[in-house]
Amino acid sequence: MFRLAIRMVGHRITALIAVACAVLGGAALITATGVLAESGLRSHLPAGRLAGADVVVAADQEFRPPGELPLALPERRRVPSRLVGELAGLPGVTAAVGDLGFPAALLDARGQVVPTRDPQVAGHGWSSTKLARPSAGAPLDGGAPTGSGEVAVDSATAAAAGIEAGDSVRVVVDGRPAAGYRVSAVVDVPAAGIFFADPTAARLAGHADRVDLVGLRTEPGAGQRVAAEVRTRLKGTGLLTVTGADRGDTAAPGAGASRSLLVLLAGSLSGIVLLITGFVMASALAVSVAGQRRDLALMRAVGATPKQIRRLAAAQSTVALAVALVPGVGLGYVLAGQFRRLLADRGVVPSELPLTYSPLPALAAIILLVLAVQVAARCSAWRTSRMPATEAVAESRSEPREPSRTRTRVGVLVIVAGTALSALPLFSRTVIGATATSIAGIIGAIGLALAGPALVRGVGGAAARATGAGASAPTWLAMANLRAYALRNAGIVSTLAMAVVFVLTYTLTQTTVLAATADDTRTATLAQQRLTAPGLGGLPTGTLTAVRDTAGVRAVAPVGTTTVVWQYRQFGDTVSESAPATILTPDASDVLDLDVTDGSLGRLRGATVAVSGDAARTRSATVGRRVSLVLGDGVRVDAEVVAVYGRGLGFGSVVLSHDLAAGHTTTTLDQSLLIRTDGTATARQGLTALAASRPGLALQPANLPSADGLEDAPPEVWINLATIVVLLVYLLLSIANKLVAATAQRRVELGALRLNGTTPRQIRSMMRREAAMTAATALVTALLLSALPLALLGQGFLGRPWPAGPVWLLPGLALTVTVTAFLTIELPTRQALRTAPADAVRAH
Amino acid sequence: MNATRTAVGAPAIALTGVSKAYPGGVRALDDVSLTVERGTFLAVMGPSGSGKSTLMHCAAGLDSPTSGSVRIDGHEIAGLNENRRTELRRERVGFVFQAYNLIPSLSIEENITLPLRLAGRSPDHDWLRTLVERVGLADRLTHRPAELSGGQQQRAAVVRALVARPAVVFADEPTGALDLRSAHEVLDLLRDLVADLGQTVVMVTHDPAAAARAHHVLVMADGRVVEAMEAPTAPELASRLVALGEV
Repeated sequence: MFRLAIRMVGHRITALIAVACAVLGGAALITATGVLAESGLRSHLPAGRLAGADVVVAADQEFRPPGELPLALPERRRVPSRLVGELAGLPGVTAAVGDLGFPAALLDARGQVVPTRDPQVAGHGWSSTKLARPSAGAPLDGGAPTGSGEVAVDSATAAAAGIEAGDSVRVVVDGRPAAGYRVSAVVDVPAAGIFFADPTAARLAGHADRVDLVGLRTEPGAGQRVAAEVRTRLKGTGLLTVTGADRGDTAAPGAGASRSLLVLLAGSLSGIVLLITGFVMASALAVSVAGQRRDLALMRAVGATPKQIRRLAAAQSTVALAVALVPGVGLGYVLAGQFRRLLADRGVVPSELPLTYSPLPALAAIILLVLAVQVAARCSAWRTSRMPATEAVAESRSEPREPSRTRTRVGVLVIVAGTALSALPLFSRTVIGATATSIAGIIGAIGLALAGPALVRGVGGAAARATGAGASAPTWLAMANLRAYALRNAGIVSTLAMAVVFVLTYTLTQTTVLAATADDTRTATLAQQRLTAPGLGGLPTGTLTAVRDTAGVRAVAPVGTTTVVWQYRQFGDTVSESAPATILTPDASDVLDLDVTDGSLGRLRGATVAVSGDAARTRSATVGRRVSLVLGDGVRVDAEVVAVYGRGLGFGSVVLSHDLAAGHTTTTLDQSLLIRTDGTATARQGLTALAASRPGLALQPANLPSADGLEDAPPEVWINLATIVVLLVYLLLSIANKLVAATAQRRVELGALRLNGTTPRQIRSMMRREAAMTAATALVTALLLSALPLALLGQGFLGRPWPAGPVWLLPGLALTVTVTAFLTIELPTRQALRTAPADAVRAH
Repeated sequence: MNATRTAVGAPAIALTGVSKAYPGGVRALDDVSLTVERGTFLAVMGPSGSGKSTLMHCAAGLDSPTSGSVRIDGHEIAGLNENRRTELRRERVGFVFQAYNLIPSLSIEENITLPLRLAGRSPDHDWLRTLVERVGLADRLTHRPAELSGGQQQRAAVVRALVARPAVVFADEPTGALDLRSAHEVLDLLRDLVADLGQTVVMVTHDPAAAARAHHVLVMADGRVVEAMEAPTAPELASRLVALGEV
């Protein structure tokens, strides 16, 4: 059977090339998604500043609910400092260092802050340098800082500030006013750091009994043994003991968050990728089988069982698969690298986070595709294999069947179901609610594929009746064809419509959510100015009072962000959801209008929270009830709900009170102040002067003008949009293949028309009209299908019955669809017209 | 259900009370009964719409009748599922169509041995060589069908039909698309096969000259056999057809 399959391939090479292209694209997409997922699970940051520590003991920065994926905790959890002494005494340990990290920033000669990657943890004790390199951290020049007036600086920051060992420098530490220090040494460590004498560092950090992590240096070769011993000792404490490649993740807690993001992205992509890949491959296989109808019918007559026909189709597809699989997988790895670059450019994942390239995604792609091809080939050959063997001798090629009533009814039901689903945004103004719109679009398109033939027959019939007696021959012929070949045309129309619906709903969902979020933030902000200190790691203590005392300032309140994990019951199961949370003080309502519908933000004291309306409704968290949350550093708290607000998109589903979050973030400093003034120039001048008087402060308008542009779009949106473009190209290729094949198969029909007196020009004209009708029907149907879901989306998210998005999207889509339809019909028609009509009718 | 031959003496084809009705009420066959003995050359004639093609399809197992029994080489096929019917067909029935007999991408030899390959059997090379030499295609085995003339293609189809040593060969208008000389060659071939090898051949045709080559001729009209003639001449057949048309 295999040999036969290969021999028969020769005449069908174009169809199999289309299958190969489908496999290529599918393999690339599936592999890329797999690489992203695996990297999220298994990649590690390079050890960096912990390269010299053979064993690292740190707190677990992941929250592990039973039965679910671990959730990243972005706030630093600390380790008891007595461990340093305890572990130092273990045999094989040559040094034990407790690493401290606290906000610190260097000021250069002009008083400007020298920027570092992570100013919140730039300050360390001198002993932390021992953790940086396999050899003892020897300073480049100078000596270790002694006393409370000396610091050592890493070489990169020193170069940026233009200082050397022996110079005097001003340093802003942890909210204190800038103080002068003498630079005792410049050290060569991979990460930015300002190293104080150890006792000074302990004092400055402010928490004497805790360190960020403990690093151990061991005798050569004793690393694993020491690690095992440490693990035994620390059993039950929940602390992690890591060696080797895992060390990099402990250096900064944010690493876990970006890895979770990769996994999330891969997860959300995989669904749509698998769906479209399956569809495209099935479509290409169907075209390939349809083109061999006569040969397969002859084989049936000569003695091939239906099963053998299906095996033949599967064998042919396997040939195409074998050719395209390896290049596709290779392309997938490249594609994953590009995705990573895109994310790193946007700052979503650290650029040092490498992708894990293992054969696993390739294996997964191969297995999936082999299975899919075998099943799809057999399915597309099913009808042909079951057709009675008399087809070989039959000459008729018309479609005698009426579109099945059941199929039409099911299709209409599916369309209705999809439309019902699209009402969700009205009730749930969240990202999940928005996803319902895209899903509703796809479901509607599937329903269209089912109900399509009846619809096209109806449209064709109406059009045929509408074209009066005075219509030209090509028009009349085109309408008649549409009605008569409803099944065939419906397949093409529904595929085109599906592509349009998919692109429209997916893109507009993303852009609408973006616009709604920006809208939320903009309308909520009553403040005119925002004060931050990005280079210092947080606003210095006393800034708040100073701002309040400035003339013209009506209200000022600190605003912070963190992450919380909310565990709630859904359908009887416990679900853990990690979400961003805002931190507010009781006077936040002076600077922010969160559209509070119940309770009051003024009660945000002590262990209290405010929740968004959606969360309150779905998780029974109304005012007065208590909720259990896990804060960003893993500590579980119980809090009372004191307010419910409507602007959940812009501010997250939870707002924590300042008191509740205190001590549970990496640093205690405020991250930003929102300032409401009386609008006068005096106020603004006063604030500008204040910002200028202290180093490192940045004053900006509270509402940035480009707030709703694509530039600031969250990374999920970028990835989704990039994927949509790729998938659209992939879909269009498949549609083109189908259309070309369909036209080529009409050779006999065109020949018969010409024998009856139709000129080639009239034939081309007829085909163009059919193309126009096909494109128009597809576009109109797509618009009708997506109009209601998109209107509901707009209403639910933006309060107006149309979504937000680029104006050029719909015209661009319409143009693409029309051009595709025309090209893929025009070119094969010209090709078909080249054969003499009598030859064409003799049907070979 | 494999290569065993049934008892000698069973007729090649036996139809009893076969009817075929299509949805919509069209009765293509109306209670037809007929027996074809081994080693005979039967022609089935009639105007279009008479049901002769349908008769052949049902007799060959290509289609299942609405009612009645069809026995090929003693085996009942009505009521078998598609797989079993196909297996039976490829062992015991050979086919020659009017046009499009050969798969264009395979060579002549591959086309000829196709039924056997599908059955998973290897061809009897001696038998194959005999047949190929007889039809005069020995030097064309590696060519593609497109490189052969219409007559040569039909002869290759005949070889394919015979390669599994079937109980009966069905020919559906085998000379319909051929020029006169090729038509004569193919008809002579069929006649000789019956005479020399004892092969049973059933030919459907509308050409009286072709039908005249057969031992027996059945004339059909409106789904029924209206007349059976023994070794008729072409003029007799032609006038019979004309008479049918006038009724």
